[in-house]
Amino acid sequence: MGHPDSLGHGVGLRRDHFDRILGGPARVDWFEAISENFMVPGGRPLDVLTRVRERYPIVLHGVSLSIGSTDPLDDKYLDRLDALAKRFEPAWLSDHLCWSGVGGRQAHDLLPLPYTAQALDHVVGRVQRVQERLGRPFVLENVSSYVAYADSAMPEWEFLAEVARRSGCGILLDINNIYVSAKNHRFDPREYILGVPKEAVRQFHLAGHSNKGTFLLDTHDHPVIDEVWELYKDAVRRFGPVSTLVEWDDKIPPFERLEQESIRAKEIQDEALGPVPVKTGRGTA
Amino acid sequence: MKPGAPPDLKQTQELFWALITAPEGVRAAIDAPAGRGSGIDPAQVDAVFAGDERLPAVERLDIYANMYFFRLLDCLAEDFPKVRAALGPERFHNLVTDYILRHPSEHPSLRYLGRRLPEFVAGHAPSAGFPFLADLARLEWTRAGVFDAPDSATLTRAALARLPQESVGEARFRFVPAFALLRFDHEVVRYWRALDEAEADGGAPREAPAASAADPAAVPHPARRKTAARVWRKDLVVYHAGLDEEEAHALELALQGETLGRICQVLAAGLSPAQATERAGRMIQAWIEDGILADCGPNTSL
Repeated sequence: MGHPDSLGHGVGLRRDHFDRILGGPARVDWFEAISENFMVPGGRPLDVLTRVRERYPIVLHGVSLSIGSTDPLDDKYLDRLDALAKRFEPAWLSDHLCWSGVGGRQAHDLLPLPYTAQALDHVVGRVQRVQERLGRPFVLENVSSYVAYADSAMPEWEFLAEVARRSGCGILLDINNIYVSAKNHRFDPREYILGVPKEAVRQFHLAGHSNKGTFLLDTHDHPVIDEVWELYKDAVRRFGPVSTLVEWDDKIPPFERLEQESIRAKEIQDEALGPVPVKTGRGTA
Repeated sequence: MKPGAPPDLKQTQELFWALITAPEGVRAAIDAPAGRGSGIDPAQVDAVFAGDERLPAVERLDIYANMYFFRLLDCLAEDFPKVRAALGPERFHNLVTDYILRHPSEHPSLRYLGRRLPEFVAGHAPSAGFPFLADLARLEWTRAGVFDAPDSATLTRAALARLPQESVGEARFRFVPAFALLRFDHEVVRYWRALDEAEADGGAPREAPAASAADPAAVPHPARRKTAARVWRKDLVVYHAGLDEEEAHALELALQGETLGRICQVLAAGLSPAQATERAGRMIQAWIEDGILADCGPNTSL
């Protein structure tokens, strides 16, 4: 794991930008596609992803694996993810360190786990089964959270680090999520970054959030704020030139605005580390 | 959970779920008298979740409760824009509240959240003043299904022309997956167009002033009358069009696997042979141009 296979700086592939991306060159190195949006039989989404994949490396980023749920793993979901991965050969697959539903029902949200020994054993076992089933690099992302559990026995970064160490999965470190959760739960975001094992971090996420007064909400509808850029610089210094992706999912601006955010991320990385060569094209997968 | 025992992960998740999906909100679910409400033990909530003086645990859980509902509401508003326009935002909100209670999402993808909405609205008492709503919802849901239906090769005029003359009458059509024939009890295709026109005149419906002539709510409700439509996809774009009874019947026969000869025979009723041939020819040509036919031949498997 780590940065030798860095994809560079990319952005999330969103429907609002399909025409623009297919219509001409984009000043980004790669795209991240939401896996579930392409788990469909045919039509425009798959056509677009096929054409994007011909020109750029991609990563498939899931939101519904529900790795921390106490429901059984969804074999049909894994079959669909496997088929998608075989068709598009992403550089890796990712999802979130959370649970999304219970009792067969789906919240379609990234719900936090208690950081207990029981939850740790549970998640590690399931990550191992997912990796065996998919047979390709698998990466888990830290989520933003708004509530904590009284019986959590360790900080989130320790839980994340242990999941990665014991299961062998990679880490998608969402810098904005660290910042949001740090404000919501009053911890030092730099302590989080220092607590994550260097060798496990495969990707960064950056995004904007909303300040709701008594809490921060991970809305992905604003530019990245200065404090998160600063934190990103710290992360780059610690983890190196890790593949970085800017997400913008609501109140989506013109693609050029998103490109600017991605270019700014690259500039910050260069500032911290000096220019880093990036592999491009299908060969990176 | 046993009093005093730490909850296991499953119990914690079930409690979390019960709180964030409670229709009246987290606080109301906790405060409901035992035996009449959600069965949530307030002491367990205090024992499981942590908050602080700035933001107590209940308010923190409320963030999740709001996100749960509004994410599903947004999804259904996107999949059923015409149902929303017909009902208006408030009634649509109430419909979604009732729908989600009855049919919580059970699929990992939000794409399938609305699959039971057409049948649900048909029996939804508060929507009884909108008897056409089930037809409208079915049209919207069918369009969603056609949008991402499997890709398929389509029949060309050249391929049809290559059929041996003597076997044309025995030929059968096979349709592409991205096609559907719908029958309605109301004139919803015409109503759809009227809603589009109202939106084009007044901007997005949610921003239109309530009393404006461009308000979708001011569009007269569709008449109760048997109608039909076909929905198809061409060059990755979804279309629908109303059908006259003749074409609807011809499509029905073709979908049932009747031969081209039999379809022409039915179409010929009341027409001269020349008129019938011309009518069938025009119809089939339109089907080919719209890419709804996959194949045609004597041995086409159905």
